[in-house]
Formats: sequence, structure tokens, C-alpha cells
Amino acid sequence: MTISAALASSLAAGRSRLNARVAETRRRHPGFDTDAFATFVGGTVDGLVQAAEAVAPERVHALAMTACDLALELVAQHLVGPAARQPWLDRLWREVVPRHARLLADQPQAVLGALGNAVIQLGQWPQVRVDAWLGWMAALADEVEDLAQLRALGQLLAWRAGMAHYRRGALAAAESLPAKLALRALEAGADADWPTLRETLLANPWHGADDLPATGVQIGTFSGFGGPFAQPPELRVGDDGFLVRSADRHFLLLGDRCGAVLLPASAEEFAAASIREVSAPEARVDALGWPEGCISAFANAHTLALASPCTHAIALFPRG
Amino acid sequence: MSGFKLFQRVSRAPTNPRAVPVATREFDVASLYEGPLSTGDEGEAAGLPLDEKLRQAYFWIVNNAVISPHYDIEYNDGAAATFAVGDSRRTLTLPSAQSYSSFILLPLLTFATRRKCLFVGGPGRGKTASAILMGVLAGYPVKEVRRAMQHGHPQMTLADLLGNPLPADLASAQSMDDIRIAWRSWLGMRVKIIDEYNRIPTRTQSALLTVMSDNYAEMLDHVYECPESAWYLTANDDQGGGTYQVIEALRDRIDVIVQALSFNPRFLDELLLRVESGVRPEEMMPPEIIFSAEDIDAAGKQILAVTMPEALRRRLEFFSSQFELMETAGSQFEYMTKDTARLSGADWHQFTAADNGRDRLKDLGCQTRNGLSVRNLMTLLVFAKAMAWFRGNAEVELEDLRQILPFVLHDKLQPDPDAPFFALPEHAAFRSDRLGWLRHLFDLSNAEYDRLDLDRDDPVGELSAQFAEGLDGLDEHEVRKRLSKIEHLVEQRTAGRKLYGPLYDDLLKLKYLHQRYTNYLNWLRASR
Repeated sequence: MTISAALASSLAAGRSRLNARVAETRRRHPGFDTDAFATFVGGTVDGLVQAAEAVAPERVHALAMTACDLALELVAQHLVGPAARQPWLDRLWREVVPRHARLLADQPQAVLGALGNAVIQLGQWPQVRVDAWLGWMAALADEVEDLAQLRALGQLLAWRAGMAHYRRGALAAAESLPAKLALRALEAGADADWPTLRETLLANPWHGADDLPATGVQIGTFSGFGGPFAQPPELRVGDDGFLVRSADRHFLLLGDRCGAVLLPASAEEFAAASIREVSAPEARVDALGWPEGCISAFANAHTLALASPCTHAIALFPRG
Repeated sequence: MSGFKLFQRVSRAPTNPRAVPVATREFDVASLYEGPLSTGDEGEAAGLPLDEKLRQAYFWIVNNAVISPHYDIEYNDGAAATFAVGDSRRTLTLPSAQSYSSFILLPLLTFATRRKCLFVGGPGRGKTASAILMGVLAGYPVKEVRRAMQHGHPQMTLADLLGNPLPADLASAQSMDDIRIAWRSWLGMRVKIIDEYNRIPTRTQSALLTVMSDNYAEMLDHVYECPESAWYLTANDDQGGGTYQVIEALRDRIDVIVQALSFNPRFLDELLLRVESGVRPEEMMPPEIIFSAEDIDAAGKQILAVTMPEALRRRLEFFSSQFELMETAGSQFEYMTKDTARLSGADWHQFTAADNGRDRLKDLGCQTRNGLSVRNLMTLLVFAKAMAWFRGNAEVELEDLRQILPFVLHDKLQPDPDAPFFALPEHAAFRSDRLGWLRHLFDLSNAEYDRLDLDRDDPVGELSAQFAEGLDGLDEHEVRKRLSKIEHLVEQRTAGRKLYGPLYDDLLKLKYLHQRYTNYLNWLRASR
């Protein structure tokens, strides 16, 4: 494998330090794959180094050492490399981080650490669109000026990728973003007014859901297929979302125009939630194609949720 | 430049995750950037709740410092998988909730409550190493902790332990006040370690007792006031195998006893890693888990604020009532106790042989040679609260008490090996397994408590609660009614001929209430 002169020079300068750390990691993680580490450094880390060299050659060594330290950790934990538990970190380092070369060169630990952690978090939610998040983060890189904007943008896009429980926090964090960047992140028209849009999204989680599929936002599959539900879920209405029971497990369901998430809840919360059903709109039932007659429908101020003993899925729609 | 600290890493994940109530849930979008990778701005665990910080310390020690695979403090959330193993069909449980290693947890609870912990076990099992970790946890450099550790040996003098008068002052002093004392530095530390305390000569043990119990040292009329501190003592053999017999008062000052269990060779790879890397865990403790003096003060206050539900307190009362009664030891009701028998110096077997009226298998009191002291109960309450606090709870649960009780009473409740209970083949192991026996004893007590339905049917408790409301405004008629009720209850409870510990304490309590009402009645009459 051929590596760039900049990386070769950094590795030579940090040889003894790096060797000690590799040895320490091997002791700590007996299954540590040195070949995978070498491949990752020679390919992915080299890409970062070359990107940084183009904008700040004086920062290359610091970046290379930081990236190698993090690479050791990522390879040891099987987060990158051929045995990686998820593909997203490789893509992050190859496709997204080099686009933020200036920030990367200035603050390598903060950029690599924060974005890496974000991808690991997003990858833990099966219904979240991590690939879309990576694509958006790369596409908007040119408009990000500093680390604070990068973090706020990542949060806003995490909500857009399906982290429904981050809606309020992400919109609050996005207040600090330039209007143009925030509007692009949400694919709103350039003539839209960002403060107004933000307030509207805070008030109505389904605002702008015009292109929602007829089957709504769906979540939940049978646990035998890797989903969260061992039995078809039962629904109830809570103050801030829906309470769900499936077998002996309980969840809080939150959903909006960007997606839905299931969070852990307790039996007591489920028992305390309202059991008042509403009538299921015929058009929604028809679109779902679920057997009629046994569909249960619950609604809060903004959201209608439909469930059926014939399926492990729950469908969410804007109310009204 | 990044910090590369594999052994110094503290998990960012919550150590005791639980579903947060919907009503109080906050979804912090900043958590998106939390994870296994350092962002360089974590800083210290400032603002971390102290119970979480102590759990972080626990898990860091479990994962990095002490290679201890024994999870002997078991908690379950729902059914646990159990297996009967071996010819003895002993139960192996795979707990369904977060369980703990007593060898690490008990010293940490001692640290948070500033009590006294004794490590026992064979040589080379990590007793001293664990004690040193506690010193480092309090923020002292490793070297300072090592230097301050007192090593018991047969020639240990008062000067070795406490300090020396300055030689120049000794020669020129006109009075004791003129003699300055060079106190030993360990006296001022917040963590005190006495290694092999059972090798200390008896006279020096007495000086140690003063420091341990009264928190000051005295020499030539000079007094050194020590700060509140956690104590860790080690002994290779708790049963008197040291060079000197440990004086009883010193043993009694020890709050919890932890046994260093054997090393599981299946963990030899971890040991090999330790040897090859030359890592000394005590030198690598992450700064995030170090406790300042203020932290420990605050933790102590939080622990005391944990509530003990009344129902649980009643169970503890019932348990401790089992042991003090010895009907054959006294002729007066109040003196029918094991303490009376012990103070008399008479042969124990004479008392037990005369005690032929009761079912000595069923009576839990027959299994012990003594009862529980006030100090034992106070320690038990504090450690039960500490256990609940460590688990992130605001209220003590029955399981907290059940798990902590054997470690507190290990050396306090002395079994009577001649009791019929220990003669049964299925109880043979309890002769050597003190912890198992104590937990079994508590389980038996709880079963009896449930059988008697004392949670719902406790007339003595009701009378006590009524009395606790106060005497102000009670008229003579009401007082007489209550006195009559007490007398009626005593008559009822003594109708059977058998006397057991809880009944004995109930009767003494009724006598107390009767006396208080009688005195009040006399006062009412006199003040007319």
C-alpha cells in the first residue's frame, strides 16, 4: 500500500509513540486486528491527512496522530475495518470528514470525536436513515463555518433523519445556524422565513409532511425478525406521545414528519395512560390494507396512531 | 493532541440505566455527540451525581483494577435462572439485575459512609491493594497512601503508631506542655489503612482503639484530633490466627467484614496482561472518579437522607428481636438475656441444657450465642441506606437490607455451633459459611414475619404508634382505657407458655408503654 508523503512523514516522526500505543491496545484488546488498523490508516486516515494538507499543512502531524489514536480505538472496538459492526464510520471518515478539512485541521479531536459518536448513536436506531444523514452532512459542508455550526447542523439533520425525540432540542440548537444553512438542511424554499418555520415546526411536528406516504410513518416489526415487538403492540395515549405494550415490554412512541422512535417506558406509565380510542379514518385504513374491524386508533393533539392485532407495525399520521 | 488513556477510561454510559419516567423525560440533543470517542472536551465529571460517580468508581475498579469475577451480591429483576449443582445441590444463580462484587462494593460503601472495613482472606488475594485503591480514590498520591499505611508487626510500639515526642523538648521541657509531639502523618488522612492489624501487640491495639473509636490520639497529655475518615484493616485470618489476639472492643469497632475470595484461573489472561504491561491500577485511577473531602461529606448526607420504610424497619426489629432472649439466664424478666448469661461467666452449655421448653430448631435465637447491639443496628441501617443510595434509589428495599446484613453482622452475631440447627446435614455448610448462614437467618425471620402477617396485624405496633402521637390532652378516662388495652394484650400474648424473642421484646415494649401511661395518670391525678 502506498501512502502520501505527508502521512509517511508524520508516522515516521511519531513512530515510537505510535508503536507504544499499538502495543498497549494489543494488550488491552487481545483480538486487536493490526492488519485492519494498517489498512485503515493507509487508506482512510491518509485521505484525511491529504485533505488537511491542502488547507493547513502545518496541522498535518497533529491530525495524523489524533486520527491514529482514534483509529486504534475504532478498530479495537470493531467499529471500522472488515469486522465492523456497522458501515457508517468508514463512510464518515472517507466521505464526510474530508469535506470539513479546515475544521478538521484546526480541531481534529473535536471533529472526529463528535461526528464519530454521532454516527455510532444514529446507527443504533434501526429506523434512522444514517446514510441520508451522512449525505446531507457532506453536501452542506461548504456552508459550515465553525465547530458550533457543525454540531448544530448535525443535530438538526439527526432529527430530520428520524430521531423524533430530538425535534425540540434540534430546532432549539438550530436557532444559532445561519438561516440559509438551516433552510437548506430542511430543504425548505430559499424564500422561506427561518424563524417562522422554526416556530411552526416546534408547534406542529407534522408541518410540511405533504409528501408523506399513504401508509404513514410506520415503526415496529416482530422480534423474531430483529424488531422490538414479541407480540402485536397495544397502544395508549400519553401526554407527550403514545405508550406501547408488547408482551412484557413497554415503550414510549414518539413520531413526527421525519420518523418515529421507540424509547423504554415502564408498566406503570402504560397503566396510567389514557385508553380512550378514536375512530380510525377510512382512508387511512384502506391505505394500510390491514384487516378491518380490529384496528385500534388513538390520537393526541397532532398525531393519529393505528395498531392492529394482525400486525406488529404501528402506523402514525398527522391528525385531522 | 488526544489523550490516549486506555486504562484510565471511565465509561460515559450510565452505570445503572433505567427507564426514565415519561413525565420527567428530557431528550438532550447534545447527547448525540456522546459516545466511546473522546471529543477532548469531556473534562472532569463535574456535576455528575455522587451516586453515579461512586458507581463509575466501582465499575472502573471492577474492569481495570481488581480482577474479581465474584458477583456475590445478587439482585434480580423478575425471575433469575438457577441451577442445582454438585452432590450437595447448591444453587448457582444467574442474576437478572445488576449485581455486585462484595469485595469492591463494601469498601466503596465504607468509603462513602466513612466507616470501618476489615478485609479477611489468605495472602496475595488483593486485600492491601484494594485498601490502597480507596486511599487513591480519596485523592491521595499512591506513594503517600503507601507510606501512610500502618503495617502491623509484633514489635509495633505506641511511637510507631502515633508519633514521637521531640527529643530536644524532652531534654529541656519543664512541663508536659513544653513537649511537642511529632504526630505520624497517617493520623491526618481521610483514609486510614492498617495492614495485618492482628499482628499488633495488645497495648498498641488499645491506642489504636482510641483513634478508631474516639477519633483522637493521645500522647504525653497532648491530643491530636483526627479528621473523619474511612478505615481499612486487613487480616490474613479473622479467627485469631494473627500474632496477637485482637481485643474485643477493637473487633467490635469494625463495621463490615469482606472476604477476599479465591482467584479464578479462568481470568489468568487478565493477570498476564497486567504482568506484561507493567500496569499498576492504583497509579492509573482516572481523575473523574476521585472524591474530594467535600464530595464525601455530601455523599454522607445524601446517604443519611435515604428513607427506611416503616414496613422494612419492622422486619428488622422482628429479626433483631430473635436473638437476645435467654429464658434460663435470669429470674427477673428484664434479665432473661444472653448478655446476663455471658456476664455471669457460667458455662454456656448449662444454660442451653436447661432451656428445654421450646422448639430449639424453630427458634432462631437458639442459633446464636449473643444478641445484636445498638452499634450493630446503627451500622446496619447506615449501610442499608448506602446500598440503596449506591443503586440510585431514594428508599431502602428489602433486598438491600438482605444483601448488606451478612457483611455487617459477620463478626457480631456469634453462632452456637452446638445448636440443633447446625446439626442438620443440610445446614452443615453454615458452620463455615458465616455470610450464607446470616442471610439464611434473615430469610427465615422474614418467612416467620410473613407467616404471622405482622405487616397487617401488629397490635403492639398500633399501640406504639398511638403513644407516639403524644399524651397532650389525654384525659383520665382515655388513659385508663389504654392501660386496660395493654393489660388485656399482655394477657392475650402470654396465654401460651412458650416465650420467643419477638414476644419477649413485645412484652417489654408493652411494659414500657404501661409505665409511661401509669406515670401520666399519676401526674394527672396529682395536678387536679
